[in-house]
Order: sequence, then C-alpha cells, then structure tokens
Amino acid sequence: MKHIKTLETRDYRESMKEGGCGECQTSCQSACKTSCTVGNQSCEHKEKK
Amino acid sequence: MVHQYRSNGYNIVLDVNSGAVHLVDDVVYDLIPLMEEDLKAPVSELMRLTGGRYSEDELIEAAGEIRELKEKGQLYAPDVFAPYLDRFIERKVQDRVVKALCLHIAHDCNLRCRYCFAGKGEYHGNRSLMSFEVGKAALDFLIAHSGNRTNLEVDFFGGEPTMNFDVVRRLTEYGRSREKEAGKKFRFTLTTNGLLLDEEILDFANREMGNLVLSIDGRKEVHDRMRPTAGGTGSYDRILPKLLRAAESRNQENYYVRGTYTHFNTDFAGDVLHLNDLGFEQISVEPVVCDPSEPYALTEEDLPKLMSQYDELAQEIIRRRKEGKFINFFHFMIDLSGGPCVAKRLSGCGAGMEYMAVTPEGDLYPCHQFVGEKEFLLGNVWDGVTNPSLAEEFGALNVYQKSSCRDCFAKFYCSGGCAANAWHAQGDVNGAYEIGCTLQRKRIECAIMIKAALSEQE
Repeated sequence: MKHIKTLETRDYRESMKEGGCGECQTSCQSACKTSCTVGNQSCEHKEKK
Repeated sequence: MVHQYRSNGYNIVLDVNSGAVHLVDDVVYDLIPLMEEDLKAPVSELMRLTGGRYSEDELIEAAGEIRELKEKGQLYAPDVFAPYLDRFIERKVQDRVVKALCLHIAHDCNLRCRYCFAGKGEYHGNRSLMSFEVGKAALDFLIAHSGNRTNLEVDFFGGEPTMNFDVVRRLTEYGRSREKEAGKKFRFTLTTNGLLLDEEILDFANREMGNLVLSIDGRKEVHDRMRPTAGGTGSYDRILPKLLRAAESRNQENYYVRGTYTHFNTDFAGDVLHLNDLGFEQISVEPVVCDPSEPYALTEEDLPKLMSQYDELAQEIIRRRKEGKFINFFHFMIDLSGGPCVAKRLSGCGAGMEYMAVTPEGDLYPCHQFVGEKEFLLGNVWDGVTNPSLAEEFGALNVYQKSSCRDCFAKFYCSGGCAANAWHAQGDVNGAYEIGCTLQRKRIECAIMIKAALSEQE
C-alpha cells in the first residue's frame, strides 16, 4: 500500500480460537504492583508450541 | 472503533477491536473518520469534506486502501468479544484456578517511605514476619489449587523480605523440591529496597529468582525525600552501589529498578533518564497510588506536565535506542505481535481469583493492595477461600462491566485497570481512577509511537 503501513499485530479475533489457557504471567507480578498493564506481556501458549 | 492520534510526526491509527496498528499519511488520516460513516462515499463528497486539500487521484487511491483494510478486518472491526468473554469468565469462576501468590514475607521494613501503601511495612496491623510453616502452607495451597497450570508465580514481597531471608531461602527450596512430583514450575520474584542486599542474598537470587525488583526512585534528592531510613536519613547512597551490582550481575536482564513518582517530582522523566545514565537498562517508574488528601498525591493539575513528560521520555528513548544505548521503560513495553489473547486482555489482572496475597499470618487477600482491609479478607492458606462470593466478584471483573472502559481505546491494553486503584478512587472495584486512566492512555500512545519509530529503523 502507498498510503498505509500496517505494523505486525496479533489478531484478537483469531486469538479466541486458542486463547484463554491462562499460562501467561499475572500482570501485576511483573514489576508494577500498582498498575494493570497486559499489552506488554507475552503469550505463553505461543511459546509452548 | 478507531482511535487515531498524531505523535512525534507520525499519524497513528489503532483499530481497537482487531488490534491492528496502521501508520498512515495525511490523506488517509483525514479520510478514516469520514469513511467510517459511509465507506462508499463518492470522491466528490470526500473532496468537499476534506476542503479540497487533496487531489481526486489521491482520494481515490487512499479510499481504496481504506476499503481494503476494512475487507481484511483490520479497520472498523466490530466488537464481537462479549459473548466469548462471558463464557470464558463463567469457566474461570467455576474452575477457581490459582496461579500466583504474593507472599508478604515481612510486615516490617528498614525504610520509612512516605508513600508506602503498606503503612511503613505493617499493613494496618502489627510488625510481623512470615514463618516457614505459613509460607509452606501457602505453596501447598497454590499447588493444590493450580489445576492444570504449569507455571506458578510467587513473589517474595513485604515490607522488606530480606529482613526474613532465611524463610525466603527455605520456601524457595521447598517449592523446587515439589516441582517434579507436582508437575509445576515455580517462577520466583524478589522485591527489595536493596538495603540488605549482600553477595550471599544476591547469589541466591541470581540462581533462583526469575525476576528481581529493586526499589529506587531516581535522582538522589527525589529518592531521599520519599525513601528515608528508620533513622530519618536518605537511603540513596546506601542502596545505589548494591543495586548497580545486582543489575550487572544479572547481565542487565530479568530485573527492574522500580521507582514511584509523585506530585513532588512531576518532572519524572529526569528520574528515568538518571537511572539509565547510572547504568540501569530495565526501568519502571510509576505514578504513586494513595489517598488524594496526601500532599504527594498526583492532582488533575499535574496531568499536562505528566503527559508532556511521557512524550519527552518517549522521544529520548528513541534517540538513545537509535544511538545504540539500551533502555527499556516498563510502561512503554508493548508486545504487538506476540501479546496476550483477547481473553486475557479483557478479563482483568486476576486479583482475588488467580492471584492472591498472603499475610505473615496466612490470611488471603485479593492482592497486596488490599491486605489488612478486613472487608476484603478472602480466607486463609489452610482452609482456602472461605469467602467465595468475594472471590467470584473479583473473578468476574472485566472491561465490559466497567462503564468507563466500554468506549475507551485502551481497554485491550490495560484490561480495565487496577481494581485497588478503582476502589481507592471510587469505593468500587468496578470503578475507575481517572488520573490513572489518563496516564495509561498516554503511555499506550507513546509505546505504539516508539514501535512505529523503531520499525522504520529495522
């Protein structure tokens, strides 16, 4: 495309198919302890595959 | 739902419901809101609505690309997740899987930080240390209630856990001894102010702790103002060499220096950069959470300054990264391609259901922020959850329940925010902490802009 550059992202709709396994890190355990950020976390399901 | 913004020379478009991120030129940027109303709008109409700023050819081409994204499901995607999330949460509440504990190893501290939510270490109770027996029962509880989860997280927290380090050591060994037969893998974290961090503790931490969180606020005057010792003197000079040694000994990985900024240092970008200049590469500096009546509480009036600080910080991080100097700022981390699934993104932090805090006496609370608030007592490590309705209330938290989240572009990144913040601000775990939300949105915008800037370099 000439006018648009799309960054590589995970498609949320697709993630419904294999998501929800719960192996990922609990968001507050990472460093914050006062804020909830999940966008920065990795999917463990993908890593396992 | 589309969120578009301009930042640092980039036109950024987030298609909120698909997660797609687009960098666009001015003509597409102007057409996207117009074509959301009418995807087939004739070019003459688009020309009129854009005030003749673009040629007919440009408009035809740009409109064609917008329609292509729509067809691919990467623009104007509908929110189709509510029924799926309902089923997911129903299952979660039914399964009651616990996968993470925050162990309050010591309700005591050798610092007297002014903003400490633990009330200088005691958490609204008496000074106390967790015994090995209580910690062991907590790990047994975790293993027994973790269902088919393999990865279990345990944070040794306080107060100051190194004041009771023998128990940390014994609990780590106990956890490891049970991994094989239980089919589990423990990930331990130690959160410390660094005062007692000697070589022995560091060696142990480097062998056993997947993450080390080291508390330091930034510049000496900022740090010492809020983090004095019990004797009232500043702690910066005493902890800094130890923290630097710890970061180096871990090869600048799997740790964070973690600071808190307050109303007293709204120029906090200077603190983040100071930490990087000292030699730390993994940095998290976060807004204080406290009663609004405290003198150090952030105010609405602080927001413009704080927002511009995030912008300045983002630009400086890009500059440093391009020059080959590494800095990772926790709140600007965003994993666009490998991030969590939509269930995780929409269903909250897990406090009170899959994540709990354990007091030195063995009581269970939804998270460390609620410890000592008796109305949030969930149960204890021997009897498990004895207040199931409270656990269910927390387990059911999700962004669709929160009216202020529904129309917010950030909902897939913050998962509805911190329940404790909401409760402190509005007396309701389903409420919102507006200052926190405003800052969260800003951080997400900056994080995506940084991705855009660094993607150009690749």
